[in-house]
Amino acid sequence: MKNLLSSSEQSAPRLGAGLLQCLVLGLFCLFAVRLWYLQIHLGPVFTEKSRNNQLRTEYLFAPRGFLRDRNGELLAVNEPAFVLGLVREDCDDVPATLAKVSEWSGIPVERLKDVYARNKPKVKSFEPLTLAPDLDFELIAKVEGSSVRWPGLEIISRTRRKYNYGQLLAHILGFVGEASETEMQADPSLSLGDFVGKQGLENRLDARLRGAKGRRLIEVDVTGRRLSEELQREPKAGEEIFLSIDLSLQQLGHKALEGKAGAVVVMDPDTGEVHAMVSEPSYDSNAFTAGLSAAQWAELRDNPMHPLQNRATQGVYPPGSVFKLVMAAAGLAEGAIDPRETVTCTGEVALGNHVFRCWKKGGHGTVNLQRALVESCDVYFYKLGAKLGVDRVSAYAKAGGFGSPTGIDLPHEKPGLIPSREWKLKRFGVRWTKGEDLNLGIGQGYTGVTPLQVARFIAALINGGKVLKPQLIRGTAPEVQAQLALTPESAALIKRNMIATVEDPRGTCRRALTSGVVVGAKTGSAQVVRLTDELRRMGDSVPYKYRDHAWMAGFAERGDRRFVVVVLVEHGLHGASGAGPVVKTMIDALFLGKKELPPKDTAGVEGPASPAARLNAVDTQFPEPAAVEAPAPPDNAEGAQ
Amino acid sequence: MSPIDRRMFYHVNWPLLWVIGGLFAIGVLNLYSASGVRLGEGMQVENFYQKQLLWGLMGLMGMAAFMTFDYRRLHTVAWPLYGVTLLLLLSVPFVGKTIYGARRWLDFGLFSFQPSELAKFAVLLLGARLLSGETERLGLKELSFVLGLGLVPALMVVKQPDLGTGMLVLLLLAGLVLYRGVRPWLFRTLCVLVPLLTPLMWFVLKDYQKRRILAFLDPATDPLGSGYHILQSEIAVGSGRLFGKGFLAGTQSQLRFLPEKHTDFAVAVFGEEWGFFGMMVLLALFCSFLYQIAVVARDAKDPFGSYLAAGVFFYFFWQILINMGMVMGLMPVVGVPLPFVSYGGSATLVNFGLVGLVLNISMRRFLFKQT
Repeated sequence: MKNLLSSSEQSAPRLGAGLLQCLVLGLFCLFAVRLWYLQIHLGPVFTEKSRNNQLRTEYLFAPRGFLRDRNGELLAVNEPAFVLGLVREDCDDVPATLAKVSEWSGIPVERLKDVYARNKPKVKSFEPLTLAPDLDFELIAKVEGSSVRWPGLEIISRTRRKYNYGQLLAHILGFVGEASETEMQADPSLSLGDFVGKQGLENRLDARLRGAKGRRLIEVDVTGRRLSEELQREPKAGEEIFLSIDLSLQQLGHKALEGKAGAVVVMDPDTGEVHAMVSEPSYDSNAFTAGLSAAQWAELRDNPMHPLQNRATQGVYPPGSVFKLVMAAAGLAEGAIDPRETVTCTGEVALGNHVFRCWKKGGHGTVNLQRALVESCDVYFYKLGAKLGVDRVSAYAKAGGFGSPTGIDLPHEKPGLIPSREWKLKRFGVRWTKGEDLNLGIGQGYTGVTPLQVARFIAALINGGKVLKPQLIRGTAPEVQAQLALTPESAALIKRNMIATVEDPRGTCRRALTSGVVVGAKTGSAQVVRLTDELRRMGDSVPYKYRDHAWMAGFAERGDRRFVVVVLVEHGLHGASGAGPVVKTMIDALFLGKKELPPKDTAGVEGPASPAARLNAVDTQFPEPAAVEAPAPPDNAEGAQ
Repeated sequence: MSPIDRRMFYHVNWPLLWVIGGLFAIGVLNLYSASGVRLGEGMQVENFYQKQLLWGLMGLMGMAAFMTFDYRRLHTVAWPLYGVTLLLLLSVPFVGKTIYGARRWLDFGLFSFQPSELAKFAVLLLGARLLSGETERLGLKELSFVLGLGLVPALMVVKQPDLGTGMLVLLLLAGLVLYRGVRPWLFRTLCVLVPLLTPLMWFVLKDYQKRRILAFLDPATDPLGSGYHILQSEIAVGSGRLFGKGFLAGTQSQLRFLPEKHTDFAVAVFGEEWGFFGMMVLLALFCSFLYQIAVVARDAKDPFGSYLAAGVFFYFFWQILINMGMVMGLMPVVGVPLPFVSYGGSATLVNFGLVGLVLNISMRRFLFKQT
């Protein structure tokens, strides 16, 4: 050992020998620390990254829930559709492939390039990028036939939403479409190519209809090849939902409005369930699921008849004389009317230097509330409007649900408008005038309502003052939104007057008369433009766009089945002739089982039972709102929910 | 004096042999896993480990051969070998074989040969010879002479292009210079100048080399390009955690996310499958291996032996530092294999030969004293 030490001092440089040992120590320390940092400190992070390398999650589509009408008829289903996808990794020449697809399908190559460029960052290179969402069999055959020459093209089978009655229920069901960027950001469970509800019930019930996607864990190697897979979660199908809509009634309403623009609402006044809600003209929901071209979209959007608008919830119209029901109820509630008190209608009322005319030249003579409603006397309600004033009228109308959305399960509902002093000052910077009180009394001026709001109000008049949320799902528990100030006596009185409007020989609603059914209604003609003398002279031959909107709102009952029916026909001229036949059709269908349209000239001329007897029948029911609970006659059993 | 004296067997450096055996065994075992690829069911293992075993056996013979002669004879071979190396390197651009875009090989029909491998040994030998003759610490003149002699073959290798080997040649010589020591004033000057001048290297580098360095500085900028190697390697090592994923169970390697997994990144496979624990064992083996060589260098009988051993020390030290540093994300990607762990035939032969040289120096340390 001694030798060793002494010799080493001669041969090896002393500092050099120390240097080598220091280097070994340094190497050890450096790597030991680095290994500790990588494997212990950052170990979990890298473990996660290695799992992400190795494992991929694949989602399995859940079938969207079917939609059925209240009797179980299928309204919206899923059908197989074939999608053309492009797997970038396998495709040798993308531009040439796109050109070939364009040649096969007739889709312009610029559009394909656009689709490709837009989706490229969102789709991994080994996943198919959707080029065309809906293939016909001819194209499938072409792609399958030349798959060897065009690698990367892939036909993917998916399900697509199909609406069995696309035109008929477009405004209620809406449609689905591929999830947008923002929707995917809001909901992490959505991925590219998933369908979500974009409009109507499809949108509102999306969470229930969509179900839950299944998940599969796939082990892949660096090229993306599958080595093993494990099902982690079964896909859960979406819920099947029964609507409150009665398909046959909806079809009939659609037919009755054919060629016109307007809306029909049939609602159960006790539950709020909507049995029919028609808006014409309409569009086909199926056009949207297949992917609308820009031209098709522009045509729908710019169509002067506004087919996209749901007139029942988004159409805001002056209520016209239908508003007189609100006035009557408000007057009774405020104690401003004694039903026996009469007013003399000379055909006009003067206020200041302005003359307010009744629709009937020469006037109605002496009228009480019943006659004023039956014959729709304007002078009576001018005076009532002046007496009540805007504050009380607008408060009552708002309590009855006007001026705010009904809350039905449909997107983009319009609230309508009930004017008030504050509103006018804010909107126009001008004070409310006395003359406007008068106009308000007959439902003209600023007032705007939707057909569904009118239906809800009529339902409240019938059901003892409960303002109900209109429901579109069968069997939903009724939701009372407000209680109208309406004494049982007032309710009975108004109801009796509405029935008289139908049954009285001078009544404006005689067309709705139906044998064996108690019917009550009120017409309305809503002015579109201020009446000029010129238009007045032209009578019924005024140009279409200047014609009044025709309203008829009423109810019909037999036994314990009763329904509210509201019809609006845009530019239909007179409530009775424009909207009346449609109301009659719906009542016939509801109570007499007639599913056909009546011949045009016979509507409303059936002989009624003795009006007096019928009025008594109403009185005996009063004040029993519980009449609903009476045992159902056998013929209604099927209609009851 | 006969080249083999019976007494020399008593002085064979057994600890060094054991360490080498351990490292080589780990290397082959790891290579078995690293050359495996998982298919849907089961695995397919390529036969790299068998080849490596074969090379190892040949290496053992080479090692034995390197122990038979007296290492001092190499003293006379140093200059001629250097000359031959230069000639071979010069001929490569004209008659060399191109593999992977680099012209590094000379084809001798039966076997191909990389003159750059020879360059490392020639520079080691010449460096040891020149520096062992210096009695004083190096001044500027001596330093320039030695480095200049190294720079000629190094630049020729870099031009092939083979940056890794060229760098190794220079680093090896630099290590030997430091082992000898330079004059204090020169040392201080170098301490200032080298860090200042290193950035100028940037302009000499090729684009792909620049990209590798940029990717090293920030792998996230190009995760699928140059940064991919570093990222996947770090993921492999890091996800091993304390005890690893188990033999043959490394997903990064079996599923081929890790590139070059049986050559440059072989140790990442080991880190993934054996974890921190296994890596510490491997690191300890490497350090004790280097330490044994350092002890041989210190205890060598004559300066030439000491410098030879120190040269071998640096030969291995730089490779371990660069390769493991690269795998752990401490260095840019440079194609330097890890001795005894990365697959490679000629490298295995050279490694065993150099260990034989160290054993040669080690067992002759007492003999000269008696003569």
